Amino acid sequence: MKTTIKILTVAAFLMTTGLESAMAHHSFAMFDRSREEFLTGTIRRWAFNSPHIALYMETEDGTLYSLEGAAPPSVMSRSPSMNGFTFQPGQTVSVVYCPLHDGRPGGALGYIIDAQGTFYSPNDGGCGPSPDWEEWVKQGYTSRAEAEAAQ
Amino acid sequence: MKNMVNKLVHAAIMLLFSTLLQAQPGPRAQLPDVVPPPQRFATSTGHYEYLYNSHNGGTSHSYDSVPKWEGLWSAQGNNSGNQLFLESLDGSPIGPFGEGENVVIKEGVLTPEYEAAFQYRRDLGVDYDRLTSCEPAGMPRWLLEPYVREFINTPSQSWWTNDLGNDTRRIYINQEHKNIDGTHYAAGDSIGFWVDDMLIVHTVDIYPSDYFRGTPPTSNQFETVEVWRMETLNNGTKRLVNNVTFYDELSLVEPITVVYTFWPRQDLQALGFRMRYWECAQNDNTYLTFDDEGRPSTQYRLPGEDGYVDPRGNDRLRNPDLPAGLVGQEKSPIFNDDVQ
Repeated sequence: MKTTIKILTVAAFLMTTGLESAMAHHSFAMFDRSREEFLTGTIRRWAFNSPHIALYMETEDGTLYSLEGAAPPSVMSRSPSMNGFTFQPGQTVSVVYCPLHDGRPGGALGYIIDAQGTFYSPNDGGCGPSPDWEEWVKQGYTSRAEAEAAQ
Repeated sequence: MKNMVNKLVHAAIMLLFSTLLQAQPGPRAQLPDVVPPPQRFATSTGHYEYLYNSHNGGTSHSYDSVPKWEGLWSAQGNNSGNQLFLESLDGSPIGPFGEGENVVIKEGVLTPEYEAAFQYRRDLGVDYDRLTSCEPAGMPRWLLEPYVREFINTPSQSWWTNDLGNDTRRIYINQEHKNIDGTHYAAGDSIGFWVDDMLIVHTVDIYPSDYFRGTPPTSNQFETVEVWRMETLNNGTKRLVNNVTFYDELSLVEPITVVYTFWPRQDLQALGFRMRYWECAQNDNTYLTFDDEGRPSTQYRLPGEDGYVDPRGNDRLRNPDLPAGLVGQEKSPIFNDDVQ
């Protein structure tokens, strides 16, 4: 039953974000879509450009993470909508992302969460994050695996 | 038990994607009926010329009378893509790129050589997309790609742009095909004529392409006859409808007729969206590679790695003929946000 509810929730999310979220000009083979990780850091760049928006974020240990999302017309259509001024260098945000398979510091964006706790969904098919993250963040989980293991 | 749950989840997601592929975002509306050609034509040229003669050369529009399809549009529903070429043996849904445990190629649709080529592609998986190299989608894939289009009609030409890949189609109205280049093109060479508010388009000289990622390839003999019109639904919503017949004697056993629809994006217009140049080669860091088993796949460059391009920043590879650190060379002067 719990699984069914999750499937329906994911389905509802995908129906609202639409098929455009699944599309891109390239495949998503390099991203591990089975994993979802949580990170906090400082934005170095928010690049709002086609074919993919990109977020560059530096974590406290000085690692620069390169995170890719959907195309501008897709992320503008989301709720809340995003544009090239939604995030700015120096801003502290958290992200949920699907990491690169090979362990380098990068991946596909799932959510961007600002200091007010607002969840933005800039993802495309590279990462389909769980809708449970709003709850998981409140409980302090840092990965989907960790959250699911605790439940 | 866990395996069963995984299968259920997989099936649910496949069903969802399958539904979405047929009905892309936007107001839900039933697809219009496919209108088959009035008779069987051996070639697209025969089909187009029959329509042209049947309508006595069509309508000659002025700037005032030519149908106006301005604004932003996105692809909506269609009955094309892998729906034409794949079937599920057990009724389970087919994924957007043709995935599925019991999904097989329909017999008798593709020629034997292209059916074998499609099977070869499917056996390799869907971790490859030729558009990774930033080439335009071209025809017929232009019809299915997501994001945003503009349809600008004039009495002598129509210019239809797709922001994905800066992929512009030009339709020359009441003109003959021309090819002075001795090659084919991604979008091909298109001519057309109006019949009142309906535009009939003939396209030839197209690169070998595909219908979408994970579909069969088309050959360099692929040609189309399209019938475009704008219609108003019962709720007052406009949509563009394209009833298109695919001809390809190398890949298709018989010509296929399908329908594509497009919906107006007033939502994006209200948000201030304007179509920009698709700077794929200058700001995208995905590239084609091969995995450990030799299969074509995709990888992602990070800052500091060879070939990395810096979106919006001061790309040191962009102007190697200028002094390093020259002021004012960042692509975005708004933020000082160099990441290299």
